[in-house]
Amino acid sequence: MASLNPITGQLGEKRAAHLLRRSTWGPTITAIKDFSSLTADQALNTLFANPPVPAPPVDLLTGESWVNPPAHPAATLSNSEQNDLINYFMSWHLEQIRRSGNNLKERMTWFLHTHLPVAWSVVNSSEAIYYQNALFRHYAYGNFKVLFKKICIDNAMLRYIDGETNDKDSPNENFAREMFELYSIGRGPQIEEGNYTNYTENDIKAACRVLTGWRFDDTFSNPDPDTGIPAGVLETEPLLDPAPATRHDPGIKTFSPAFQNHIIQPAELVNELATTDAARQEFDDLIEMIFNQPETARFIVRKLYRFFMYYQISTEVETDVIEPLAATFRNGDYELRPVLEQLLKSEHFYDTDNAVTSDDNLGAIIKSPVEVVMGGLRFFGVELPVSLNDLYNKSYIGGILGFLKDEGLDLYEPIDVAGYPPYHQEPSFNRDWITPNSLAYRYHFSFALLGNAIEPSDFGFALDIVDWVRNSGYIADPSDATLLVQTLTTYMLAVELNEERRNFFLNDVFLENLPLTTWQTEWSLYDSGGDDIVVRDRLETLVSAIIQTPEYQLI
Amino acid sequence: MNRRRFIRNVSLATTGSVILSGVPLRALAGNAQLQQIAAAGNDNVLIFVQLHGGNDALNTLIPLDQYNLYYNYRANIAIPDHGTRKFINMDTTLPLVDQVGLHPDMIGFKQLYDQGKATIVQNVGYPDMNMSHFRGRDIVFMGGDAGDYYSSGWMGRFLDHEYPGYPDAYPNPTMPDPIGIELGNVISLAFHREAGIPIGINIHNPEQFYDLITNVGVEPPILFPDSHAGDELRYLMEFEKKSNQYAERLKLAYDNGSNSATSYPEAYPLSAPESFLHNPLSGQLKLIARLLKGGLKTRIFLCRIGGFDTHGEQVESYDSTLGAHAALLYHLSSAIKAFQDDLALLGLEDKVLTMTFTEFGRRVYSNASYGTDHGSATPIFLFGKGLKGGIMGTNPDLSDLNQGNLKYAIDYRNVYTSVVQDWFGASDEAMQATGFDEWTSSKLDLFGSPTGIPGRDFTNNNNRLLGCYPNPAVNQTTLDFFLQRTGSVHVEIYNTSGRLVKRYDPVAGQFGYQSIVLNLDGLENGMYMVKLASGKFSGSVQLLKQ
Repeated sequence: MASLNPITGQLGEKRAAHLLRRSTWGPTITAIKDFSSLTADQALNTLFANPPVPAPPVDLLTGESWVNPPAHPAATLSNSEQNDLINYFMSWHLEQIRRSGNNLKERMTWFLHTHLPVAWSVVNSSEAIYYQNALFRHYAYGNFKVLFKKICIDNAMLRYIDGETNDKDSPNENFAREMFELYSIGRGPQIEEGNYTNYTENDIKAACRVLTGWRFDDTFSNPDPDTGIPAGVLETEPLLDPAPATRHDPGIKTFSPAFQNHIIQPAELVNELATTDAARQEFDDLIEMIFNQPETARFIVRKLYRFFMYYQISTEVETDVIEPLAATFRNGDYELRPVLEQLLKSEHFYDTDNAVTSDDNLGAIIKSPVEVVMGGLRFFGVELPVSLNDLYNKSYIGGILGFLKDEGLDLYEPIDVAGYPPYHQEPSFNRDWITPNSLAYRYHFSFALLGNAIEPSDFGFALDIVDWVRNSGYIADPSDATLLVQTLTTYMLAVELNEERRNFFLNDVFLENLPLTTWQTEWSLYDSGGDDIVVRDRLETLVSAIIQTPEYQLI
Repeated sequence: MNRRRFIRNVSLATTGSVILSGVPLRALAGNAQLQQIAAAGNDNVLIFVQLHGGNDALNTLIPLDQYNLYYNYRANIAIPDHGTRKFINMDTTLPLVDQVGLHPDMIGFKQLYDQGKATIVQNVGYPDMNMSHFRGRDIVFMGGDAGDYYSSGWMGRFLDHEYPGYPDAYPNPTMPDPIGIELGNVISLAFHREAGIPIGINIHNPEQFYDLITNVGVEPPILFPDSHAGDELRYLMEFEKKSNQYAERLKLAYDNGSNSATSYPEAYPLSAPESFLHNPLSGQLKLIARLLKGGLKTRIFLCRIGGFDTHGEQVESYDSTLGAHAALLYHLSSAIKAFQDDLALLGLEDKVLTMTFTEFGRRVYSNASYGTDHGSATPIFLFGKGLKGGIMGTNPDLSDLNQGNLKYAIDYRNVYTSVVQDWFGASDEAMQATGFDEWTSSKLDLFGSPTGIPGRDFTNNNNRLLGCYPNPAVNQTTLDFFLQRTGSVHVEIYNTSGRLVKRYDPVAGQFGYQSIVLNLDGLENGMYMVKLASGKFSGSVQLLKQ
C-alpha cells in the first residue's frame, strides 16, 4: 500500500540528497548537509522560496535586453538577428537553471516547458518564446488552471499549433486536438471510432470553434492584466462598441456526454458576431468545462508523478497516490503547491511506506541531459565566464547547447508537439534518453567538464579538480584516498554503492592497485610545493570514471 | 461494398489468386514457391522509411477518375491537370477508375514504377483509425488494433524470434552485427521487444559512433540492487555492452563498404521554405547502401523523414505544386530512386525491400491556411526488385467519405504480413511470435509467384521465369528470370495460333536473377506468348503488344 502520509523527523543526508536531486537542478555537498538537519516541512518551505524575477536576456550587440517587457524602458533597436537572439535566450534560460538556488522555481518552470512545448523553427520569434517562459516562471508555484487559460492564447502557442490560423470561416483543429490529447485531459481508450472516452472527435471540432478568432500579436503590446506578460489578441473591430470578435465563430457549440453534453455559446451578439467579452467568456467556459472533469486532474498529476517520482505507474500507485493527489489538486482549484508538498514529503517519496525494496524509487529516474550537464557543473561549483560574450558564445552556444543535443535533447526543438519524447512517450518514458549514441555522449561530458584547467578551455570553463579537492572544504584530508572515493561516490551518485563497487573505484581506478600510501605520498609531495601532474591525472581519472557509469545517469 | 478491380498484374494470366473486394489475396499460406523467392538463406533486408507527421496522400497520388471532385475539395492546394506542372500520369494502361496522377516532382517514383520496382497499396488503414500522431504511429509500430497497448513492436517481436537469446548471445559468428538499426537520435517502439532492451540500436554514422564509443565507459557494476534504480542500472548496462560490441563491426562494415557512382540528391531545386530544402533521406539511404555493401548483416533499418504534418502552408500560395509538401515528396522520390540505382550497381538489389509508412493520411478538403488536417486512410509505397510492381486496390472514393476523411479498404497488417512471411520467409512459428499469424490467409500478394500459363514445368523449383515489364508493352519489354545454372538462354515469341513469329539470338545466362531486354520491332499489336528456354528449363508468359 503506497502511502502519502508525511514522514516525520529530520531528513538526514540520504533523504535530503534525494529531495534536492529531484526538486532542484543538482545539489552541492553543502546543500545536502544543510538540508539534512531540516524536517520535511522546513525543507519544503525553503524549496518554495520565491526568488526575484530574473532580469531578461541581453542582446550581445546592444548590451541591452530586446524583449522589452512593459516594466522596463524600451530597448534600442536590436542589431542581432532572430537566429542569434534565440541562442541568447536559450543560453539565458539555461543560466537561470544553472544558477538557481535550492528552490523549485526553475524546476517547475522546466516542467511546464516540457508539458506545454514550443519549437523555435515553427514560431521563429525569440520574444514570444521568452514571454512564454516568463509565463511559466510566473505560475511555477501557482495555479495550473489559470496558467492553462493563459497558455491557450499565448503568442508562441498560438503560432506553434496553428491557433492563430483557426478562424470561423476555416477552422484549424490542430490546437484543439492537442489541447485535449496532450495538455489537459489526455486521451482515454478508444471505445469506438472517434471516441476516446475522455473526449470525442466532435468535442475537438466544437472546442476548435470556441477557440477561433485569436491571433499572434507581433507588437507584443497587449499585456495580460494578471501577469503583465504580452499575450495573443482576439481579432476585433476596436472602433465599434460593443466590439465584435470578428473572426470568432458565434455559433452554438455542443459537447458530448464526456462533458455532460455541455453547451457553449456567446452571451451577447452584435451583428451576428459574438462580442469580444462574450468570446472571452466562452473561452473561459471551455477551460472550466475541461477542468471540471475528474480525469483532467489525474492526467496532470500523472505527468508530475513521472517528473518527480518514477516513470511507471502501477495500479497500486494509481489508487494510492495519483487518486489522492488528484483530489488535492481539484480541491485546491488546481493550485500546484499543495500537490507538490503532499508528494514531496510523503512516505512514498522516501520509500518508507513499505518494507519491500523492489519498488523503491530513490535513484530510479534517468537524468535528462540538462541534469547531466548542470548537475555536474553545480556540484563542483564550476565557474563560467563573467563576460556575457564568452558566456553565451563559448560556454553555451559553442558548448552546452551542443552537449545537450548530442545527449538527445534538442533544446526548443522537440520532434513533435507532445514535447521531448522521454517526458511523455509510452511505454519507456525517461529510458528513451538512453541510446548507444546518447549514452556515449553523456559519458563524454566528463571530458568537457574537466577540460584543461590550466589554459582557458574551448568552452570557457573547466573544473579544476585539484583545486576543488584541496580548497573546497569538502575533503577533510585529501591524502586519504579512501575518504576521497567515499565522499565523491556518496555525494555524486544517487545510488548507494556496495563495498565491492566502491573498492573498484578506489583500487582499480584510482590507485591502479597500488597501496594507499602511494596516493598519500603523491599528495604530500604536491601539497608541499611539488607539481600537480600526478595528482591531477589521478583525480581527473577518478572523476571521469564516476561520471562514465550507469550509476551517474540516475537521480 | 462496391466491387473494386485489381489491376497492373505483371502477367495477364492470373495464377488462381482469390479476389476479394478487388484485392488479390493469397489463399495459400506458406507457399513453397513464394518462400523460395525470399529464401536464398533469407538474409533479406527491409528499409522502413517513416514519413513523420501524416503524408497528404491525395496530393501525392491524385485520383484521375475523380479529378473535378478532387479539385473542388481543395482548390487552393490542388495539383493542376494542365500546364507544365501538371501531375504525372502514372500508368495510362490502367482503367480510368484506377488511374493516378503523381505529384510532378516525383519523377524518380515514376521511373521505378515503370521498371516494375514500385508497388502502391491504396487505402491502407485499420478499424477506428486513430488520428493522433503518437497513437497512430504506435499502433502501426505495435502491429495491433486501435485499442491495443503492447510494449513491443512487430519488428521487435519478429527479430526476437529470429535471433533468440538477444542480447546475451550476440554478437556471434552467425550474426555479428546489430540486428536492427535506426538512423537518428531515438529508438522507436518498433524495435522494442516484450522485455529487455530494444533489439535495434541507433546511430548517426559508424565512424562517429566508433570514435564515440571506444573512448569511454568503465567496468560494469556487478550487483544490481533490488529496486527500481537497480532495474534502470541493468537497462543502462545492456546499452553500454551492446554499444561496445557493435561499434567495431559497424566501423568495419563501413570501411569495407562503398557506394557506386550514383549521385544522391541533396536539395529540392524549386521553391519551398528554407527548412525543407535539404534532402534528409539521401544521407540515410546512402549510408545503408554502403553498410550493406560492406557486408553488414543487419536485417531492418529504420529511417525517418519529417515535416509531413502540413496543417498550414503545405503548398506555396501562388503555386500549389511547390512548397513544403512538394519538397518532401521530391526528397522521398529522388532519394529512393538513387538508392535503388545504387543498390543495383552494387549488386544488392535482390535482397533489399524499401517501404514507407506514415501514421495517417490527411483530410480531403483543405483549410484556409493552404494546408490539411489529420485524416485517416493512406497508401503504402514499396520499392524493390523483388516486388511484382503495380497498384493494388483502386482510387479512394471521394464521394463516400467518413466525416471528411477517406475510408480504408486494406488493413495495414495485410501488407506487413506479406512482408514478414513472403519477404523474410518467416516460419509459422515466427508469424505467431510476431503476432501476424491470423493475417496470413488474407495477406497481399506483393512479391509475385512464378507466373506463366500451363505448360511450364513446376517441378523446376529453382529456375523460373518471373515475367516481363512493361506489359502491355509498345517497343520493348524486359524479361526477368532466375537460373539455377549457367547456360545458353533462348527466347522465342509465338502468336495466339501457336506460330513462331520472332526468335532472338541466344544469350549467355548466368546463375541467379537476370533480365533480357526484348526488342518488339516487327510485331503487330496483339497478344503473344514469350517463351524462354535454358537447358532443361523452359517457361512462358503472355505479352500484349500495343
